[in-house]
Amino acid sequence: MRRAKARFGLLAGAVGLLIFLILFQQALLGGLVSQFIGALEHQSGEVLVYNDQARKNLEGSVILPGILEQVQAVPTVGEASPLGESTFTVTAGGKERDTVLFGYVLGKPGAPTTLIQGRLPQGANEGVASEKDRADGYDIGDVVQIQPDGVKITVVGVARDINYSVNPVLFVDFPTFEAAKRVRNPDATEILASAIAVTPKAGSSPSAVVADINAAVKGVQALTRQQAVDGSPGVSSVKSSFAIILLLFYLVVPLVTGLFFLIVTFQKASALTLLRAIGAPASALVRALLVQVVVIMVAGSIIAFGLYAGAIQGVKNLGVHVEVMPAVITSLVVLVLALITSLVAVRRVLRLDPLSATTGGGVHV
Amino acid sequence: MKLPLRELRRQPNRFVVAVVVLSFLATLLLFLGGLLDGLYLGSTGAIRAQQGDAIVYSASARDSFLRSRITGDVRTTVEHVEGVTEVGGLGFTLLGAKVPGTSDLADVAVAGYEIPPKGVPAPQADGKGVADDRLQDFGAKVGDTILVGPSASPIVITGFVHDTGYLLQSTVWVNLSTWRAVQNANRPDAAVHDDVVQALVVKGAGDLPKAIDAATAGATKTLTNDQAVLSLPGVKQQRDTFNQIIYTTMAVVLAVVGLFFSLLTLERLGLYGVLKAIGASSRRLFMGVLVQALVIAIIAFVIGSVLASIAAALLPASVPLQLVPSRFVSTFIGLVLAAAFGSAVSLRRVTRVDPASAIGTGS
Repeated sequence: MRRAKARFGLLAGAVGLLIFLILFQQALLGGLVSQFIGALEHQSGEVLVYNDQARKNLEGSVILPGILEQVQAVPTVGEASPLGESTFTVTAGGKERDTVLFGYVLGKPGAPTTLIQGRLPQGANEGVASEKDRADGYDIGDVVQIQPDGVKITVVGVARDINYSVNPVLFVDFPTFEAAKRVRNPDATEILASAIAVTPKAGSSPSAVVADINAAVKGVQALTRQQAVDGSPGVSSVKSSFAIILLLFYLVVPLVTGLFFLIVTFQKASALTLLRAIGAPASALVRALLVQVVVIMVAGSIIAFGLYAGAIQGVKNLGVHVEVMPAVITSLVVLVLALITSLVAVRRVLRLDPLSATTGGGVHV
Repeated sequence: MKLPLRELRRQPNRFVVAVVVLSFLATLLLFLGGLLDGLYLGSTGAIRAQQGDAIVYSASARDSFLRSRITGDVRTTVEHVEGVTEVGGLGFTLLGAKVPGTSDLADVAVAGYEIPPKGVPAPQADGKGVADDRLQDFGAKVGDTILVGPSASPIVITGFVHDTGYLLQSTVWVNLSTWRAVQNANRPDAAVHDDVVQALVVKGAGDLPKAIDAATAGATKTLTNDQAVLSLPGVKQQRDTFNQIIYTTMAVVLAVVGLFFSLLTLERLGLYGVLKAIGASSRRLFMGVLVQALVIAIIAFVIGSVLASIAAALLPASVPLQLVPSRFVSTFIGLVLAAAFGSAVSLRRVTRVDPASAIGTGS
């Protein structure tokens, strides 16, 4: 390897690029999914009730008058209260930005559950923002104004992973949400909740509550929090699209490595046969081959981690961070796959006939 | 040129693994590109089809149709701007729709319009509309009455148009009064008065965005059609991210081709020495390497195209994969260029081969 640096360097570079793409896309997938549905995942309602026309889309759901009372009357329901969601133009940090408001009834289900600093809202015009957006004018004490010239919301708390649709989020009380909606559309005849956030009565499971609500109330679709997260529009298609792309990448990395070592084995056939003829055991040659595979994969993984760490800086808006453990696991998986595909080259080495070194008839692998 | 092609024909096994790897990479490139195209075309069709020269939003909407609100007096101001020849209202409502004979709901965007987008007929009578043809995937037919939204507002489908999707939903094109009725019945918090629309499609000449925004004293933000397409949520970010992945994958193709042919060249150094000794030039030998790289890239592209097409046919509708001819062309060009540049890695070794080595050890 020392004497053929270009050859092995090129392979390590190609493997590094491929592993980098795997790491980057895995980070992107995790970041995108978390940024799409963080607020839904980290609110206190264990069950969410949507309009059955919404197709699990919170933005497309409206709770019609009379539904809340019917849900509250279901025997296994502990507490049920309206949850509003909508995207607004706001001024934050001196700039106009998109922001999603989650309006919930204070003290009831729907509050953010990952508060890391400050407190929850205690009245109108107070909000909890996402930790990721602190620097953009959403830190504690900052004032965010709904446009045009609408309510001013003071950030009183910061929570982790509560973004939604890849936008900043503010959890506010329901009247503040209503006021913001009326600013955006003075023609609004009624401000309806997007969903109902529910906590089960003691002793009842969320899935039992879901079944009871769906059986008792017409025109709604109750979902456990996890079902709501998994069924959110975009999440399943993003997951399935990335899964196929990642699968192809996981196939290509070992193929490239296997191809390289197979060719190298062909090229070195004469030398390897000679080594066998002078007494080198096949196991030593196989070991040498596998050591080269491991060295290349480790070098590729190090290159990939460097590229990954650099690329993550470019997508920090997705809230993704450089994480060592996933990178190590991915590198190990790819190493194992590369070792498996290198077995073809190993098989060739094992099939070398030492006698052919003495016949002058050429070496056949 | 005969020698490299003959080698490809007589010793195909030598090239099989490179073809397999490149075929996978070609499939990957087409798949990535197909996803990007599917997301882009499915999200932006309704805006790309607009026949105006500019689209006017309310200033505080941040280029979002759903947040924009243009009142009658703003419209009147826009109509009187110099250079403006025609103004039409536009509005979108995203809802679920029940198609007769099916149990699953379809996602639709009910769009109210005045200036017909490309392929869409003039606005029809109240309660009637033409739908984007992706609604046919949900079983909709001409003459069906679909029921949209929680209020089950009826719309009779009178025809289908192609490539007018909005945010991956099937657009149902209706007149403005039908759109307002649907919006007010199903989205009371986004209800609109009779003279209110979400945006204006404007035809005219000159610097319309500047003239319109100046005339409305900053109450509007006017974009060209291309700008409006890119301002749709997620479109620009998706395009940038996928393009970065595609370019990096192309770099891998380049590295793989470079790796393969540098190894192959190393293997053939003795042969090149002999060929040079009998008069073959470095240029001729390198052209042989280049031809082999191009042939491999072309074969890999064909296999990759077949695999990607099969994948597109087998994947569920939730994966927005759309393979368009231009993507095949760009992938082909990318692969061929990567193969050409990748094979150039061998150029130095080919030119350094000493013909005298053929007389000596032959290696």
